[in-house]
Amino acid sequence: MFTDAIDRTRRLLHGLGGPARVALVVLLCFYALALLAPVVAPYAPSQQLDIVALKNQPPSFAHWFGTDRVSRDVLTRTLYGARVSLSVATLAMLVAAVVGTTYGLVAGTLGGAVDTVMMRFLDALLAIPRVLLLIAILALWNPVPLSMLVLLLGLTGWFDVSRLVRAEAMAMREREFVVAARSLGARRGRIMLRHLLPNVLVPVIVTTTLGIGNVIVLEAGLSFIGIGVHEPTASWGTMFQEGTAAFAGTWWAALFPGIAIVVTVLCFNVLGDALRAVLDPRHLPRSRIAAPAATFAAVAE
Amino acid sequence: MRRFVAVRLLHAIVVLFLVTTIAFFLIHLAPGDPFSFENASISSEVRNQWRAQFGYDRPLLEQYVRYLASVAQGKLGYSHSMHVPVVEALALRLPRTLLLMGLALILSFAIGIRLGVFEVRYWSTRKARASNAASLLVYSLPDFWLALMLLLIFGYWLPILPTGGMQDLVLHDYMTPSQAAWDRIKHMVLPLTTLTLLLGAAITRYQRASLLEVLPSDFVRTARAKGVDESRVIRRHALRNALLPMITLAGLALPALIGGALFVERVYSWPGMGLMVFTAIGVRDYPLVLASVIAGAVLVVVGNVLADIGYALADPRVRVH
Amino acid sequence: MRFFIATCSLLVLSGACADRAGTADRAATGGTIVVVVPGNEPSPLFPPLTIDIISKMLIDQIYDRLAEIGPGMNTVGDAGFQPRLARSWTWSPDSLSIAFDIDPRARWHDGKPVRASDVAFTVSLDKDPKTATQLSAIIANVDSVTVRDSLTAVAWFHKRTPEQFYDFVYQVQILPEHILKDIPRDKLGTSEVIRKPIGTGRFRFARWEPGVRIELVADTANFRGRAKLDRVIVALAADAGSATTQLMSGQADWFENIQPDLIARLDSAAPVRPVRYQGTQYAYMGMNQRDPKRLTAPHPIFSDRQVRRALSMALDRQAMLKNMFDTLGVLGLGPFTRGLADTTVVQIPFDRAHAAALLDSAGWRPGPDGIRVKNGKPLAFGLLTPTSSAPRMRYAVMIQEQLKSVGVRVDIESMDFTGLIARLEAKNFDAAMMSTGSDPARAAIKQNWATEGIGKGLQNQVSYSNRVFDALIDSAIVTFDKKRSDQYAHRAYQTLVDDAPAVWLYDILTIAGAQKRLRPEGMRPDGWWVGLADWWIPANERIERDRIGLRPSASTAQQ
Repeated sequence: MFTDAIDRTRRLLHGLGGPARVALVVLLCFYALALLAPVVAPYAPSQQLDIVALKNQPPSFAHWFGTDRVSRDVLTRTLYGARVSLSVATLAMLVAAVVGTTYGLVAGTLGGAVDTVMMRFLDALLAIPRVLLLIAILALWNPVPLSMLVLLLGLTGWFDVSRLVRAEAMAMREREFVVAARSLGARRGRIMLRHLLPNVLVPVIVTTTLGIGNVIVLEAGLSFIGIGVHEPTASWGTMFQEGTAAFAGTWWAALFPGIAIVVTVLCFNVLGDALRAVLDPRHLPRSRIAAPAATFAAVAE
Repeated sequence: MRRFVAVRLLHAIVVLFLVTTIAFFLIHLAPGDPFSFENASISSEVRNQWRAQFGYDRPLLEQYVRYLASVAQGKLGYSHSMHVPVVEALALRLPRTLLLMGLALILSFAIGIRLGVFEVRYWSTRKARASNAASLLVYSLPDFWLALMLLLIFGYWLPILPTGGMQDLVLHDYMTPSQAAWDRIKHMVLPLTTLTLLLGAAITRYQRASLLEVLPSDFVRTARAKGVDESRVIRRHALRNALLPMITLAGLALPALIGGALFVERVYSWPGMGLMVFTAIGVRDYPLVLASVIAGAVLVVVGNVLADIGYALADPRVRVH
Repeated sequence: MRFFIATCSLLVLSGACADRAGTADRAATGGTIVVVVPGNEPSPLFPPLTIDIISKMLIDQIYDRLAEIGPGMNTVGDAGFQPRLARSWTWSPDSLSIAFDIDPRARWHDGKPVRASDVAFTVSLDKDPKTATQLSAIIANVDSVTVRDSLTAVAWFHKRTPEQFYDFVYQVQILPEHILKDIPRDKLGTSEVIRKPIGTGRFRFARWEPGVRIELVADTANFRGRAKLDRVIVALAADAGSATTQLMSGQADWFENIQPDLIARLDSAAPVRPVRYQGTQYAYMGMNQRDPKRLTAPHPIFSDRQVRRALSMALDRQAMLKNMFDTLGVLGLGPFTRGLADTTVVQIPFDRAHAAALLDSAGWRPGPDGIRVKNGKPLAFGLLTPTSSAPRMRYAVMIQEQLKSVGVRVDIESMDFTGLIARLEAKNFDAAMMSTGSDPARAAIKQNWATEGIGKGLQNQVSYSNRVFDALIDSAIVTFDKKRSDQYAHRAYQTLVDDAPAVWLYDILTIAGAQKRLRPEGMRPDGWWVGLADWWIPANERIERDRIGLRPSASTAQQ
């Protein structure tokens, strides 16, 4: 029953332009490297080679990206950092997609008073400044385990998805096949699952995928101020923070993870642009600002 | 229209109540309190005396009810870290943040709309494409990342701009008015540039996208068919329609800026609300943290209401909703 | 009986501290310095309610004591104490009262003369339970202060003790009665005086702009001579990183705690030079001997002395020290800083093979994933670490990795200081990166390591208890013969170190960064700022902000 969705995805990929394809390839490479980190990386992520002789070594043939203050290989940690940064962001967006889709489907399908109440509640949630709230919670409840961080990022990031799904569901409700199914006596829940879900799936997948870029930045920002991911776990944000804490001294410890963040987000944005151009504009929130930095994540339609 | 505004305001109050409640419990349930600071020489008895003085020894629900009651009277409690009532602390800090955000908002709209039009008008030229690529790149930069880089470049490697604060700590008060104004500007350049670049890039892209969407529409085609030249079409017809969603964006960008301001204020030691929140959290100054979250929510809500009203004024079609 | 020879040498690591300027220069007044401070807003500028180090620095400039402890930091009797508000004092024959003769020239910053009644008022305020100050406990031995005449205050003590003078004089800064007498004691904490202090010190308070700066200016009419600098500005920065940036860019003149990694990059061409001063804190990894989940039960891992010794043995303390501090580090040898240390205490050696063998024999056998197991439980513990301290964070990471090599899993629990203290107070932790002040008084060591220090709100947070140690340290305290006292103390320390309730790591390094034009003077182990009123800037090295002079700014004039 999802063949339609698969077909649409295939058509979509064909329509992408050159830059978007490059971006897609780069992102897939990053994910592959993250997955394969234990195989590719020259060392173990927390391995301290020699805390006296090999600390803060600049990039060299032996250590392409140099070593950090406790003599860990920066290349290794950047690879493992990809693992943490990408998986935190991806899982958080997965949480957001599930919660947002469910919420949006329920509101959109039921409609009426239920819909009104649910949307008002959503307004309240949208009014909480996300970054401020995350900082307050994370700092006060420090240290927050990684799973909790994922959950928090996800639970504060589903609002856009649910609005999108609700709009989609509202529009879909009046479409012939749904009306037909309903007149044939199909139950509401059944209609939702069989007909609405596959139709909202592609836009949801696209939106959430693009959201990953934002969450990467958000996680990096939180880690940068010391409340996201914690030592000794490497994420690009923590590495960037450690590198810059030494005040412009060990630039290599900050540069490479810093570049990794920017390249990843850039790729997500390029891809997003292309996808939006290819897809029927009605199927995505109109010119939705995909939010550059974590900052502007709240700017949605 | 009046009813529309009234309904909007009612929503706003409900929303703020919910935000206050959620934030109160999330903050107060966290471990620690304003008097669990590090200092071995302060005994538990003295700490408990202080807790009792400020009511932290009461049950949480009672504290919540008391808090709501005092908020209803316009009081937000006493800030332990700044040694003033919270209202005073906010009155001092919030305007500084609003100044930064307001200027960034104006500048980034001015720049963003122009660039967006430029990118569409000269669609296929190299310059427009370079501009598009640049805005996409800036748009992909994390706020803290950009802030720190600008700081290192202009504050340290080429030390031409101050590295933090809002004015020269010592000399400012002894300057002539024009020197003092120049001093203020110098201190504002980096934080403002950071925020403007980030928001400006977002607006450029938004503007470009909405123009591209409007261009194929009927009335633009008609205008073009009438022989109006291309830049006139864009300026007069397309832009006006594309500006409509920008009103919404203006309302929505304000709260988004709060997040950016947090990082920017921290990196540049800009003594606004963002920096205050960090120190307040550090010393568990709960009333101040809570008030800051609420202030942030008020900004969001007010931004939304204003945007809604603006949109309704600009486009009568929506007024029905 | 407890003597302490302070090695308060101001050690200059690089750059020229040598006075190029002559004595004439030294006598010249003027200059403005900016002291940058990372972190939080200072606590009240009010001696009874001050809790953090920055406000302590400020109130030490603004308020005076009756007499000041000497550079030798002697705390017994009154030897070495120098006159401040009191120009002299007379002990009663039974030593139960001391009459302080107030300097008739002393003036409050608002121009009112200082009177004996101010001293009496201060003590009554400090002892009032409504004031809610820690001082009341510290000066418990002071019964009261009476006014013999307007310039003679008599302090009455409950009992005669070697440190009765120090306990009163060092701890109590005299407050102005005429300003404070009408403020209810339980409202002091929210009153204006805590933001606008009026004292008698050589600097007077000028203004406090919350979150931005606090400004002091020289009290030109001060009876002890005006401060040499015109102005001291404490600038508040978001964190250590931005404080460092401000120092390095020349916006700030003094940052009391720069990172060792930065020092390595300060060469003679740099505008900033490191200034080392003696700190009073030592850092260690403390191991909780009680079960954090059930405080009455012993800790499943750390209650075993052999395990604690094995953990100490598995850690290469020298290498960690070298990594963190390069050549500047001072290895911890026990519950004291090096200046107060008994360096003859035999240390637990670094020996991983032996550590592994000890763990084996204690029943902790390597499990399938390399982590040791006993009775189905892994040898794993949490290590509380404050994120605000770069050295402790780095040490935690190194400890984690080194213990992994002997099959111990460490989970770093990093959090801000407030969170950490809350956990320590509740004794809800396995191990923690801790620090404690090293005190010349041996009684102070008891607070942290003796059995009587165990309990809610008390300082023995790891709940270490060994009756032998208790008895030895008590003997050291009550023995009047210095040599025998030292022997008892040595045996006590050796017992403690052998029991390994902690892994002694390092003396907290205190290296300030200073702009080269600055000439610090008179630093003491209890504060680099003690001689701030005598700091100076040579005339030929002055920069723009040094030349403003004393004229008030528009905004201070309003206040």
